[in-house]
Amino acid sequence: MNVLSKLKPSPKLKFLLPGLDILAILAWGALLFKSWVTGQLKLLIHPNYFLLVFVTSIFLIILGGVKTWLWIQSLRQKGNNGETVQHISIFPPGWGSCLLIIAAIAGLTIPPTIFDSQVALQRGVSDSLPITQRETQSFSVNIKPEERSLIDWIRTLNAYPEPDAYQGQKANVTGFVVHSPLLPDDYILLTRFIISCCAVDAYPVGLPVKLERDRSNYPPDTWLRIEGEMMTETLAIDTQTMQETPTQKRQLVLSANSITTIPTPDDPYGYSN
Amino acid sequence: MTQLHNAFTLFLSLLVEAFPFLLLGVSLSSALLLFIDEGKLIASLPKNPLLGAIAGSCIGFLFPVCECGNVPVARRFLMQGLPNSAAIGFLLAAPTINPIVIWSTWVAFRGQPEIVFYRILFSLIIAITIGCIFSVQKDPRPMLQPLLAQRITQLSRQPRFARSRKQEPNLKESMLLQSGTFLLGTGNGPMRLDEMSAATLTLTRDQPSVMGRRLKLFIENVTQELRELGGMLILGSAIAACLQVFVPREIVLSLGQGTISSILAMMLLAAIVSICSTVDAFFALSFASTFTTSSLLGFLVFGPMIDIKAIGLMLSIFQPRMIVYLFALAAQLTFILALFHSYFL
Repeated sequence: MNVLSKLKPSPKLKFLLPGLDILAILAWGALLFKSWVTGQLKLLIHPNYFLLVFVTSIFLIILGGVKTWLWIQSLRQKGNNGETVQHISIFPPGWGSCLLIIAAIAGLTIPPTIFDSQVALQRGVSDSLPITQRETQSFSVNIKPEERSLIDWIRTLNAYPEPDAYQGQKANVTGFVVHSPLLPDDYILLTRFIISCCAVDAYPVGLPVKLERDRSNYPPDTWLRIEGEMMTETLAIDTQTMQETPTQKRQLVLSANSITTIPTPDDPYGYSN
Repeated sequence: MTQLHNAFTLFLSLLVEAFPFLLLGVSLSSALLLFIDEGKLIASLPKNPLLGAIAGSCIGFLFPVCECGNVPVARRFLMQGLPNSAAIGFLLAAPTINPIVIWSTWVAFRGQPEIVFYRILFSLIIAITIGCIFSVQKDPRPMLQPLLAQRITQLSRQPRFARSRKQEPNLKESMLLQSGTFLLGTGNGPMRLDEMSAATLTLTRDQPSVMGRRLKLFIENVTQELRELGGMLILGSAIAACLQVFVPREIVLSLGQGTISSILAMMLLAAIVSICSTVDAFFALSFASTFTTSSLLGFLVFGPMIDIKAIGLMLSIFQPRMIVYLFALAAQLTFILALFHSYFL
């Protein structure tokens, strides 16, 4: 049917192929289960799908178990294992399983990274949610300004972008440092990534923070907890789009009172609902 | 090095998100292949070309298979005498019009539900149009592989050749008079070798329909599809992750913002990466921030119909000429609809 399917596996390979399949299934079951148990899923996908991944891992492990049992049975009744059905195959025999096994082993051994300021700059950090993302949720007015997370602040700003409305409000937010080349030297962007489906669509949002001294004390990627007060400043760049504007524009910035360096949190990302 | 690690993280996140959907699609399609009686299904389809194309396209909803699974099914449909319009409608629409694909698209693009809607709508329009075009050709044989055409000729000589498998014993009796390669020792009689696809074997009714045996075949089918499609998924995800990390953003942006260039680029990408339709929405998601919505639609509509992998599979049914027609028609219609979307919707 297919040129590749004409490559007949040698008898020895034919004997090994079911074993490779079983290994691939079990390896994937183990990978999904491990990322669920260790909390690495937080770095990869939106929490809505954690359960789906967990159920899949259990199903795969059971499937692997049943396959192993069937294989052992067929090995016992030698010569009567003509049950295997030939599929229309795209890969030469064994390739699909090998790819699956290699990917699973890589996943089991290499932990996922947390995206850093480089990625944030590359993906275009700004203080607005991308227009392609879902619409801003409504917020209960009960949240006190100082209890809003960085992401809550961005959402609030998106819902009502008038800087003066927030003048003087207290804020207490955490995020990592991004040095934007467009901002003056006493400004950093306190940034977090938001995931709406999986890490592939993670997008950065950041709030400009005005420091009392030069930003070189806070190198990029340092995680900070910043307490301060919202104020308006006139800047030559539009923080909503992170592009230079021909005229100075009033922007909402956070003026930092106290800055604490914190370790990278376990759940560094925010999630869109 | 950091870049590489980032690419690996993206790769892993695509796989982890997509794997449950892949497994779900594979399990459901395996279960349905075992339990749905195609004969009855075919007999109940309308004969009118337009209605046939519509019905054929909609049967996809019953077969949650991606493009790799639907080619063998379409092949069986054609051999059992399903009208061209319905079979081609099914071939083109089934990978998109099915619950798993709709769900995974919705998961990926929850923020833009219109993508899910237009994906279904455009796929249906294209599948029905192409189905109707090919209904002009009443006899499917000139379109098909010589071997398959020969097979249909032989089948049509059987006066009582059935739309339902229940009458297959008639066929079996005359097997000895036919040329070809047969397998002995499967059930009650010889079996022709060119019918040998996994699903045909699993469906053959002469096998004792013991539950255990069915379960065994089910597991076998799930494993095989998982292996094949999982391999494709891994290659596709690797390409997506590398494109996102290593190709400079300016290039992607300049390509992705042009109305026409973005649609063409995404259609080309769809044809090349050959990613399974149950999970291609996650793949497309990695382009959501840089490419236009219309071009994403082009990717999501065109990819499931025609890609390199599907062409390989279709060669087992159609003449190369026929595949060129299908490819050209599907590409043009997708392009027109995506362009229509970018200007008017």
